[in-house]
Amino acid sequence: MLGYVVRRIIATIPVMAVVALVVFSLLYIAPGDPAAIIAGDQASPADIERIRQNLGLDRPFIVRFGEWVWQILHGDLGSSIFTNLPVTTMMAQRVEPTLSLMVITLCLAIIVAVPMGVLAAWKAGTVIDRLIMAFAVFAFSVPVFVIGYLLAYVFALQLEWLPVQGYTPLSQGIWPWFQNLILPSLALGCVYIALIARITRAAMLEVLQQDYIRTARAKGVGQLSILFVHALKNASVPIVTVIGIGIALLIGGAVVTESVFAIPGLGRLTVDAILRHDYPVIQGIVLLFSFIYVLVNLAIDLVYTLLDPRIRY
Amino acid sequence: MHRRTLLKSVASVGALAVMRKFPAPAVAQGAAARTLRFVPQANLANFDPIWGTQYVVRNASALVWDTLYGFNDKLQPQRQMAESEELSSDGLTWTFRLRPGLKFQDGEPVLAKDAVASLARWAVRDPMGQMLIAIQEELTPIDDRTFKWVLKKPYPKMLVALGKNNTPVAFIMPERIAKTDPFKQISEYVGSGPMRFVKDEWVPGAKAVFEKVANYVPREEPSSWLAGGKRILVDRIEWVVIPDAATAAAALQSGEVDWWENPISDLVPVLRKNSNVLVDIADPLGNIGSFRMNHLYPPFNDVRARRAILQAMSQEDYMRAIVGDDTSLWKPLPGFFTPGTPLYTEEGGEILKGKRDLDAAKKLLAESGYSGEPVTCLVAQDQSITKAQGDVTADLLKRLGMTVDFAAIDWGTVGARRAQKTPPGQGGWQMFHTWHAGADCVSPAPYNAIRANGDKAWFGWPNIPQVETEIAAWFDAKDLEEEKAAIKRVNKAALDNVVYAPTGFFLSYQAWRKNISGVVKGPLPFFWGVAKTA
Repeated sequence: MLGYVVRRIIATIPVMAVVALVVFSLLYIAPGDPAAIIAGDQASPADIERIRQNLGLDRPFIVRFGEWVWQILHGDLGSSIFTNLPVTTMMAQRVEPTLSLMVITLCLAIIVAVPMGVLAAWKAGTVIDRLIMAFAVFAFSVPVFVIGYLLAYVFALQLEWLPVQGYTPLSQGIWPWFQNLILPSLALGCVYIALIARITRAAMLEVLQQDYIRTARAKGVGQLSILFVHALKNASVPIVTVIGIGIALLIGGAVVTESVFAIPGLGRLTVDAILRHDYPVIQGIVLLFSFIYVLVNLAIDLVYTLLDPRIRY
Repeated sequence: MHRRTLLKSVASVGALAVMRKFPAPAVAQGAAARTLRFVPQANLANFDPIWGTQYVVRNASALVWDTLYGFNDKLQPQRQMAESEELSSDGLTWTFRLRPGLKFQDGEPVLAKDAVASLARWAVRDPMGQMLIAIQEELTPIDDRTFKWVLKKPYPKMLVALGKNNTPVAFIMPERIAKTDPFKQISEYVGSGPMRFVKDEWVPGAKAVFEKVANYVPREEPSSWLAGGKRILVDRIEWVVIPDAATAAAALQSGEVDWWENPISDLVPVLRKNSNVLVDIADPLGNIGSFRMNHLYPPFNDVRARRAILQAMSQEDYMRAIVGDDTSLWKPLPGFFTPGTPLYTEEGGEILKGKRDLDAAKKLLAESGYSGEPVTCLVAQDQSITKAQGDVTADLLKRLGMTVDFAAIDWGTVGARRAQKTPPGQGGWQMFHTWHAGADCVSPAPYNAIRANGDKAWFGWPNIPQVETEIAAWFDAKDLEEEKAAIKRVNKAALDNVVYAPTGFFLSYQAWRKNISGVVKGPLPFFWGVAKTA
């Protein structure tokens, strides 16, 4: 097991290398010029060229790429072209809001979606099942920003229960922190709830047909115990898989959610960096997200062994 | 659902919420009355007003750095850090004296050497500064409070150059910072102005914080734009970057922010319904829309093709596309200079007035030799103003029988591509759209886009000696009457030869909560004199 983990972690190195090369190449060939944005509308072509030279953007691809890789090998992601701040500093400023948003969304989604899916499977074919599936279709289909606006409409502006926008660091208190994250988490969590609920239902439907479930019923095991102890554990491998895959959805959704609710997280940093062609920041964020995604996949593979003793590495 | 409708629907509930008189969220109640929360027009992505010349950087910098002179609301330069100035009888030597007791925010005195280094850095990046460098003999300190700028020929617009609010502004920084290469960003923010930039709290893309400077000594005169006593009436100003307009509108209505620099016109009716929010014109100098043609390549290297555009274009179409149907927000502009300012003129503007003559335009176009070749039109899709203009232009060109190569790209790419002088088929272009702040178009001094000096001109590179001759006459003008006469000739020559096609003059709004007082109209948000009650 330990050997497997070590092998998987080592395997992330070529993955990250490929990601780094692809991202750098894409940004290199992408149109647009940060020097022109910095120089402003009134700048002369000569001014733009001077700024480009000072930023080192006029150097050949291989030189820039080599320098960037060398920096990364020394633990340095470089500095933002615009803010002059280290990319690590900029990402560190943004990690807490995004992490908070994703953790709360993840918890919310699992707490809500898994029981919903179990209930839908148990009541398959009934009105309850259809209502849950209708909700799932709705939540999966409506864009995150529309849900965000609607939530803000009801809970922030009409009822005035929650703030419209912003983020309060956890260090300033749990309630202020949580208060700012409720609406964004609900907005972001909808699609995730829908996805997990549907997969849970499908997996549970299959398991509930198994002989051992019939045996458990014959032995007089209670319904809740059958659903959540006997059936859910065996249905959980695909559920855990989709939770893991859904992390990518969360990362993508965070970009929109953070913009709608003005949360200063990594998602907004990504959008800002892309719009400005701030190459070092884009490269740093993509590397970070790729690394997280690889680790999440590893964690999910390891969780399989806990859920299903037949799986061995 | 149409996006604008959705935005309106979401924002409109704010009015209902306020009418219900429910208590505001804790986050709003807890805000200190001494902290002003301001939503800027854009993200403060860098903080060097010489290196990065975006308006948002200029606006933030005006809080932190002071200037020798500042434009007042009459567009006249007024002494600010300068105590006096003296011009030699031959008009070649300017001697400036600093006010006594000026200090930087680190407590060090402001000396002549600081002003000299700051002006030297500014001059490299500023068009008027570059003119000064071209005729400069020397720029040197005389003593701690006095310095001189010796020129090879008179430059009557010296105080305009030092006091103008167009980017880059001649802010005064400590010498050690001002000695930074003008094409490299500074990393230390020691100001000479009324507020300190709190670097530790700066989260680019989200927040920028400014704190009142205790030892700043404002001038005695009342403040007027960048001039006069810059008295700060709050302890702290937080710039809260809210990229989504509907969210910003909701935040203003709920009291989470106090002042929004540029609400979009779609949301203004909603904000006006809220009894706690005031809405007014932000900048009386407004903006001028621009349809820029490449003078190097066909068809627009022929003046007849450029005139065909002026003859066919409807400025009303452009203005309605940009700001909507609120006719108080825009007006046609048969010229290049900002309406309502002393040099405004419509001389030569007949071609933009009256009924549009598509047939005559088609005839002119045919005479120019155009025969259906694709015309590359760069249209930035991420800027609502350029996108709206681009859509109108594409329609106009098609109605003129032109083949449009509509390049839908982002603003950063337009910025890079418009600098290409290569032919349109090889990465170049034939037209793009932008807009100019009215404050930049009050005279030829800060107005790069009106210049027609060929290779040295702004993108499109018009080469029209007559325009340049008249601009030179304006620079040499001795009084306002001479200036006006010169500008009339500039306007006519620029329209006759179509330096670019103005698409109209338009205004924008600002909005703030009723517990905020002292907000004035101007080309940038002025925070001095702005107070907040609980």
